[in-house]
Amino acid sequence: MAQSNFDRRRINGPDESYQPIFESDDELEPKWKPGNPRKGRGARDLRPIYLKAGFISQANGSAYIETEKTKIACAVYGPRQSKTTVYNEKGRLNVEVKFAPFSCTRRRVPIRDAEDRSVAVQIQQALVAAVRLELLPKSTIDIFLTIIENDGIEGCVAAGSVAASVALADAGIEMLGLVASCSAAIVGEEVWVDPTDEEGRIASGTLVLAGMPALGTITSVWQTGSMAPHDAVKCMEACQECCTDIHAVMAQVLLENAGKT
Amino acid sequence: MASQLISKSESAYIQASLQATPPLRADGRGLLDFRTVLLETGVAPLANGSARLNIGRMPHEGGGGTELLAATKLEVEDVDSGDGVDGGRVVCSVSCSPSAYPHLSPNTLEELQYDLTVILQQAIGHPSLHPQNLTIIPRKKSWLLNLDVIVLADAGNVVDALFMAARAALWDTKVPRTRAVQYRAPEQLQTTRDSAGAMDVDQREAIPAASGFDTREMVRAAADFELPDYWDEGEVLHGREKWPICITLNLLPPTHFLDATPAEEASVPLRMHLAFSFGDPNSPRLQSMRLSGPGELDLTQVKAHIADGERYARELFNALEAKVRDEDIRRNVKARDKFALR
Repeated sequence: MAQSNFDRRRINGPDESYQPIFESDDELEPKWKPGNPRKGRGARDLRPIYLKAGFISQANGSAYIETEKTKIACAVYGPRQSKTTVYNEKGRLNVEVKFAPFSCTRRRVPIRDAEDRSVAVQIQQALVAAVRLELLPKSTIDIFLTIIENDGIEGCVAAGSVAASVALADAGIEMLGLVASCSAAIVGEEVWVDPTDEEGRIASGTLVLAGMPALGTITSVWQTGSMAPHDAVKCMEACQECCTDIHAVMAQVLLENAGKT
Repeated sequence: MASQLISKSESAYIQASLQATPPLRADGRGLLDFRTVLLETGVAPLANGSARLNIGRMPHEGGGGTELLAATKLEVEDVDSGDGVDGGRVVCSVSCSPSAYPHLSPNTLEELQYDLTVILQQAIGHPSLHPQNLTIIPRKKSWLLNLDVIVLADAGNVVDALFMAARAALWDTKVPRTRAVQYRAPEQLQTTRDSAGAMDVDQREAIPAASGFDTREMVRAAADFELPDYWDEGEVLHGREKWPICITLNLLPPTHFLDATPAEEASVPLRMHLAFSFGDPNSPRLQSMRLSGPGELDLTQVKAHIADGERYARELFNALEAKVRDEDIRRNVKARDKFALR
């Protein structure tokens, strides 16, 4: 019996399993070569966003975001009393992210692991400057994100921040501004905005930027990979422009939702 | 990263002194001055490479400061049946000794470890820095480079120390030289059977067939490897000039400062970590950038910080380079000279 993956509470599959190899898989699409244009959209085009607020009636606020292959559901509970007895004069923002086991090509364990936490830390960094926590002493705001399908970590962080921001607004929590977030990648010499998982892998470096377009400020920057510093600046400028567009979508969704209730 | 508890008045006092003209810090340093950095390589004899780093040791009492121990260990991995990747892989892990953070609960300590591990892994494990000589047998066996860093004491500025110690340990790492090997049975096998049916061994030995241990043309069909020289430490990691250096700018608009002490970290929670790689001295590459802490910036400030960070990182890089080369000389050339003199 394999000690490492035995989970008592679930029906375990066989210890070793291999994917079947199909002959046609190899030559499906020609691989991208440097100099080729982006497949399917322009270099600065975002994927179309579907956003819906208020779809979980049990939560104080909720939002669902879908951009082609990234699907994230977010629920906000709060402000509610802090479980800890320590007095905190500013409210606490607690972000928990969970990747569904079927969200990635390799099955993820149902227990929280390190990658969940790194996405949660990024989303918290994006939101913490925007929420007016000084108005909520002794309280906690819990934000729970479930990633239903994952198309690249940068896409998840960006879409997750957008969904969490809409959910916070839907819950009626006071904020300085809506937080919009966008990712970009340097592929060859160009800046491609909103990369998918595949595009993120061929890129030499990726960057995720979150900010409040209404105030023109940046709350979180996360860059990985090898980039020249001026390329990083170009990515940030491209992201900021796209954040303004995303902000318009978010505002429209919230207005429609408010109009209905 | 885990800040100590600090009262509002102390925090306001520290902020006011940093923004005063001239800026004042508790130990009298300038805003851009680092504390003394002590580095020693080759501290863990069983590891393939190691380094011990201390920032801010007090000169007279001889204790204190942020202390880290980094060590690299190479393991063989199977590409087909194991977790191996063709070309090898690099895995970093940071563990925080509970003696460094006595006020944190075990859960918070684990979370701090995760956060530091992620910062290090995303910068160092990225494919753009991958060293070329981690393959043993292409598509069959490769090296797994484990970089483990232990935080023994935290007196501020742990992230910069992490990257410096990691860079020194990776610089010091030696990859053992391997040679591919395959046993091939002799082709001309003539056996005569005696009446009992057993094979006649002598016939086989008389044939001057090519030896099964001839390793000259083995590489393509190799199944296993050996170490040609057991006592040879090996060759250095390729691309070791590219390992990044991190600089943390603690941001207190309109100023910023480097190398914060724990009280300063608690009073100024907004900081920016920038990791630069100076593989090519004329065009540095940004390997990692991360804004952390509650606060907002605008784009012009971020651009200015990147430019400033590059300058500071270059100075830090030059100093660290000089030191690790010095350490190489001390351990190899000078040690041999001392031995030869006896």
